[in-house]
Amino acid sequence: MELQINGKTQSVQADGAMPLLWVLRDVLNMTGTKFGCGVAACGACTVRVDGQAVRSCVTPVSTVVGKQIQTIEATDAQLVKLQAAWIAEQVPQCGYCQSGMLMAASALLDATPQPTDAQIDAAMTNICRCGTYQRVRAAIHRAAGSPVAKMGAPA
Amino acid sequence: MKRRSILLSAVGIGGALIVGWGVMPQRSRLGAGALTLPTEGDVALNGWIKIALDGTVVLAMPRSEMGQGVHTALSMLVAEELDVPLSQVRTEQSGLDAIYGNVAMFVGSLPFHPQDSEAGQATTAVKTGEWIVGKVARELGVVVTGGSSSVADAWGPVRLAAATARAQLVGAAAAQWGVPAAQISITQGVLTAAGKTAKLGELARAAAGVSPGEVKVKVKDAKDFKLLGMAAPRTDVPAKVDGTAQFGIDVRPSGMVFAAVRLCPMLGGSTGAFDAARALSLPGVERVVQLPALGGGTAGLAVIGATSWHAKQGVQAIEVQWQQRPLGALESAVIEKNIQAAAAQGGGFTFHSRGDTDVAEQAASRKLEAMYSAPYLAHATMEPMNCTAQVKDGKVTVWAPTQVPQMARDIAAQVAGVPKDAVTVHVTLIGGGFGRRLDVDFVAQAVRVAMDCAGRPVQLLYSREEDTMHDFYRPAHAALLRASIDAKGAVTSLRIQSAGDAITPRWFERAFPLLAGPVDSPDKTTAEGLFDLPYNFASQHMSHTATHSGVPVGYWRAVGHSHNAFFSEGFVTELAHATQTDPLEFRRSALTQSPRHLAVLNLAAEKASWGKPLPAGRAHGMALHESFGSIVAQVLEVSLEQGAPRVHRVVCAIDCGTAVNPGVIAQQMESAVVFGLTAALYGRVDIVQGQVQQTNYPNYPMLKLAQAPVVQTFVVQSNAAPTGVGEPGLPPVAPALAAALFTLTGQWQRALPFAKSTAKLT
Repeated sequence: MELQINGKTQSVQADGAMPLLWVLRDVLNMTGTKFGCGVAACGACTVRVDGQAVRSCVTPVSTVVGKQIQTIEATDAQLVKLQAAWIAEQVPQCGYCQSGMLMAASALLDATPQPTDAQIDAAMTNICRCGTYQRVRAAIHRAAGSPVAKMGAPA
Repeated sequence: MKRRSILLSAVGIGGALIVGWGVMPQRSRLGAGALTLPTEGDVALNGWIKIALDGTVVLAMPRSEMGQGVHTALSMLVAEELDVPLSQVRTEQSGLDAIYGNVAMFVGSLPFHPQDSEAGQATTAVKTGEWIVGKVARELGVVVTGGSSSVADAWGPVRLAAATARAQLVGAAAAQWGVPAAQISITQGVLTAAGKTAKLGELARAAAGVSPGEVKVKVKDAKDFKLLGMAAPRTDVPAKVDGTAQFGIDVRPSGMVFAAVRLCPMLGGSTGAFDAARALSLPGVERVVQLPALGGGTAGLAVIGATSWHAKQGVQAIEVQWQQRPLGALESAVIEKNIQAAAAQGGGFTFHSRGDTDVAEQAASRKLEAMYSAPYLAHATMEPMNCTAQVKDGKVTVWAPTQVPQMARDIAAQVAGVPKDAVTVHVTLIGGGFGRRLDVDFVAQAVRVAMDCAGRPVQLLYSREEDTMHDFYRPAHAALLRASIDAKGAVTSLRIQSAGDAITPRWFERAFPLLAGPVDSPDKTTAEGLFDLPYNFASQHMSHTATHSGVPVGYWRAVGHSHNAFFSEGFVTELAHATQTDPLEFRRSALTQSPRHLAVLNLAAEKASWGKPLPAGRAHGMALHESFGSIVAQVLEVSLEQGAPRVHRVVCAIDCGTAVNPGVIAQQMESAVVFGLTAALYGRVDIVQGQVQQTNYPNYPMLKLAQAPVVQTFVVQSNAAPTGVGEPGLPPVAPALAAALFTLTGQWQRALPFAKSTAKLT
């Protein structure tokens, strides 16, 4: 089958039932997308499919043929802006969940360019065991160009 | 033979050994340049520092990066001493020589009361004990990342190594330029004197010819720090936002196959008859491997497949009859009840005693008593357990997200039946450690599977379910606390009787089986946070009964402090209430012998505006706790939403000695608050018929962004040697939340987690 990944066409030999996550990671060796739970509960595997944030660990690859798949390896302006905000706010700790966080944030900002805190709460349901949440929130506001009080900074 | 009991008894030997105290040579950990990885173009100046010809400073890095910022922090120590930009320092995994061993972690494991081991006040016994353990730890050289000890441990040797390298570079410049070394300065990686300049790399080869013994080496005074104390951006962040950071599951050696595991669901059980015919008929499934119990884990099965998904499909398709452990099924409800009974009965090892608690209790006009308890917990790191291994031509290569590369090497050698020096361990970035990766069960399993892979590398990956059901769990503990109150309302005694499994003897059995013996010696981690309180109650008695549940137990973030701070600080808030004193005032009046604690408490109280009215429906709760050498006070602002606790804001004050990177300190406080709140609100593992009931995030839930409080961190200015940061922010969370919930509901929270009990109250 042929997949459209980050604007390029990739030819893949895979069982249609195989989740997109494992096609990316183990067939295409695109390891930026992470495995966390396998049941769409943690969001570490989040990618975008036709713009929507999708949990790739439960998404059969057959269902995304012909759709635009975007991963953390993408280099579009939206993602680059978010990555810069992530660095400015020093979001990552262990960093394992951050690919999924960034993809979820990217989908949020496309749908809602200047999200409120409540909209961020609703959209960002990814689990981060290091507790980077307040910096994720601050980084989304920063990327959106929203004014935000610097919270949690050392005094 | 138990190392600690030997060490403790040696403490009593006393005087003769103290001769060497104070001259414990940091230089013994400088090491020769030959210990570093030889790389074309790099010049090694000692065991820690290489200078590349382009001026890059390469630091041999023995500590694992798992989010705590250690690669950045240790690089900062080097950048500071060499006066190079942080971006000019690169890390390279160190070898396993003894110079890289973690001494601070082992010294920190001694069960001394902090008031007996404060700098300048240490007693002979404490000094002697620390000296002996320090010496043994230097000799053993255990390369381990844990116990919030990395910066404390590196503070001496890494700064000295960088300062020595600096002195060698300066010495080389002095010889070439014919100017006194004292006139040479380094700024941004450039040496300057008398109109002459040279970059670090230009002098690297000449510096290697300067003997460290011939140059004057002095680490910087705090007043001269340019980088330390700055919130420098972390060096690992750029790769963690674009997907290029390489975790354990991301290694892709050529020709690699994949493996999935299915361990006996009953802890300690074994594999009976199984039929793999259907599994082997599935496409992409290659082979079934039977796994014995390895590294303290449970036995089970693994399947080798073309991808992780194929391997998982295969392992799920095996029909298998699992067998219960021979000693009978583990039942956490029974174990927890037995632990509470043991706590109520008292006895065991006395970790601390002063005054006469018996007499004080007899003389008391009233007494306050409460039983506190905490359940088993899983680590639930985001990156599930995994390891990649290759066994080929008598050599073993391991790629592992591990906190203990030496243990990984040793168990790989043991499983594969090769000498230790035939094993190479590559430590990857770690997607969350929290103590889980102080064990190497998954390394042993990967190596065992690799032996059946015909020389190809294999990546063994746990499913989330296997990861949750086959952890080394934070042990369940309980404590009975009893205080005496006199006629004037003053607290005259505090007795704490705790009980629960000890982790360290079990870990020693798994990690260093030759050092583990038939009798457990007292384990500080059982009692830390109970025996070492800063309060001045005249009579205190603290004892712990170590139980043997049979549940695999391991180090979990903040270890004993994770539950004991809840027990002790929860009870202190109860005492404040019983004596009709404001919790802040109560603590202040009990901290007359602990000025550092008092300062941290006051800072948190001031920044949180303690005592000022809050919006309706909100309450403050506070707690103060010392762990891993650092003191943390927190004030939580809490309300109830549909009966469930909601934490809005956490003000956190910390004294961790010299603040190497205040940005990372703030991150770690935020992290520990979320980790601690998750445990306080949701965390429990139940074991029924030997089987852990929690399996994945839906039934072992985590705090998410929408519930996360705003955490504000304030760092006490200090020039003392740095102490822990990764764990100390966690212990105060649960007792501070319990205190706020009491104000909101009138009910004391004495059992973790809270969510269920609080919902009932409203």
